[in-house]
Amino acid sequence: MTATTDRQPLLRADDLTMTFGGITAVKDFSFHIEPGEIVGLIGPNGAGKTTCFNMLTGFYAPSNGRVRFKGQDITNRKPHAIARLGLVRSFQKTNVMKRLTVFENVLTGHYMASRQSLLATFFPGEAVRRAEREARESAAAIVETMGLAQRMNAPAHLLSCGELRLLEVAVALAAKPSLLMLDEPAAGLNSHEAGTFGAVLKTLVGRSIDALLIVEHNMDLVMSVSDRIVVLNFGRKLAEGRPAEILENRQVAEAYLGKAAA
Amino acid sequence: MTLERNILLAFLAGAALLPFAVSDQYILHLAIMALFYAVLASSLNLVVGYVGEFSLGHTAFLGTGAYTAALLSTQAGMPMWVTIPLAGLVSAVFGFAIGAITLRLQGPYFVIVTLSFAEVLRIVANNWIAVTNGPMGLAGVGQNLFGDVAVTDKAGFFLIVLGIAAVALYLSYRFVYSNAGRAAVAVRENRYVAQSIGVDPFGTAMQAFVLGAFLAGLAGGFYAHYISFVGPEVFRFAFMATMIIMVLLGGKGTLIGPLAGAVIVTVLEEYLREMQELRLTLFGLIVMAIVLFLPNGLMGFIAQRREQQAARPPLNAAKERTV
Repeated sequence: MTATTDRQPLLRADDLTMTFGGITAVKDFSFHIEPGEIVGLIGPNGAGKTTCFNMLTGFYAPSNGRVRFKGQDITNRKPHAIARLGLVRSFQKTNVMKRLTVFENVLTGHYMASRQSLLATFFPGEAVRRAEREARESAAAIVETMGLAQRMNAPAHLLSCGELRLLEVAVALAAKPSLLMLDEPAAGLNSHEAGTFGAVLKTLVGRSIDALLIVEHNMDLVMSVSDRIVVLNFGRKLAEGRPAEILENRQVAEAYLGKAAA
Repeated sequence: MTLERNILLAFLAGAALLPFAVSDQYILHLAIMALFYAVLASSLNLVVGYVGEFSLGHTAFLGTGAYTAALLSTQAGMPMWVTIPLAGLVSAVFGFAIGAITLRLQGPYFVIVTLSFAEVLRIVANNWIAVTNGPMGLAGVGQNLFGDVAVTDKAGFFLIVLGIAAVALYLSYRFVYSNAGRAAVAVRENRYVAQSIGVDPFGTAMQAFVLGAFLAGLAGGFYAHYISFVGPEVFRFAFMATMIIMVLLGGKGTLIGPLAGAVIVTVLEEYLREMQELRLTLFGLIVMAIVLFLPNGLMGFIAQRREQQAARPPLNAAKERTV
């Protein structure tokens, strides 16, 4: 990497547009994420936040616009190829491997770190065994970090809603992302749980991950965690700034509460 | 994982003693067929249990293997130690070609297209008389193991099929408990999560599919030499139905399941032979009962019981958890 790429943002999206038939879900949306940042992406329901996630991670092919990650153009790449570059996401509707245990889920998340040749799969040598051991140790450590140690060997379908959210983040962390993107990770958590969750998230940046993008409706959580907030409304960027600035922004208040309230 | 490995090792070791303890040719024949089906069911299980798609065309690989071994033996006079591995490799190549098309499909589309591939191969075998001898089939497949050393008794064939079963179980075990196997399970359980942790769903499914084809080809190669005859009926649905019942009964997505299923069904089939026509009806009823009451097969049922007991956290521990 040259010195110029160091000064580039970690992720940069330019003029992202997504149309479904005649409906424009996201229009000319540009933003960026710097290393070390926690960015919150907020907006009323249907603003296009999840569509945005899907475009950034390759699950949707944008109708227009480019996405660059670590200086590489990743527009139209396949989801697994983007994940291999270090951009890992979670899903709005809880997505874990329900029939596997907590530990197995997180161990599976180590896929990229333990990839091996086909020959090594059938005739594993010392290198494979060491990689396997490291993956197991790391999986156990991540389960601990996320506070799920008690549930290590429980199948995921027996977890509570809050625990599932934590597990989802744990699986994403296991993939050792550079940029982690969480889509409504605190949905279904009570305020106490959300507070603990936010504290965990803050410790991750700089230690386990380089940067975090979070979509969340829980305003207390987003405002306390984020360094910078981007507001989407009807598929367009409405505002961007530090949490305090966003809280005072009239347009944002209008978008959420309507004109009369503002 | 270790438990499963130990059970498999114990099974293979016990089976190795069988030809020394039993001299009844009929029982040895049953044991040979049980192991042959165990290899087939294990190979189908890699597709059903680890690709997560239901293949109805697995006989394509059984038949390809059988014809490969039969042709190499009758045309080139090759011994078994050459023909059976080659049968596996040719089937694996077919698996790659068929997988490249079918693995892009999911659900019912995958089922139909795999079925049609097996049917196309059956029609080819039936009509390409110059090579396959058409409906007459290839008779007189040699039974030489190395050069001129022929396998003359059932005990010999039993040890060969046991060797093949050991190879099949070893390769399946290594695959299932490797990073690649975990990736396959991830794709089966949740395609989106798998992609977001960097798993290529198509490439991973292809590995399991080709391995399954390879093992089915080995079984087919053995079958050709053992029966000494191969005809187009190796592609027929009857084999497929037997394999499915074995995998479903034993439990898909486990290694012991298909093995147990193969042994149980082979024995049951012989036992029910006296019922003549009623046999297939009874089989249908058994399959329906399994699907209704044991959707994950015998092994799935046992695993579920163990899992639920292990998962219950102590009551006071549940209260201490903060999040």
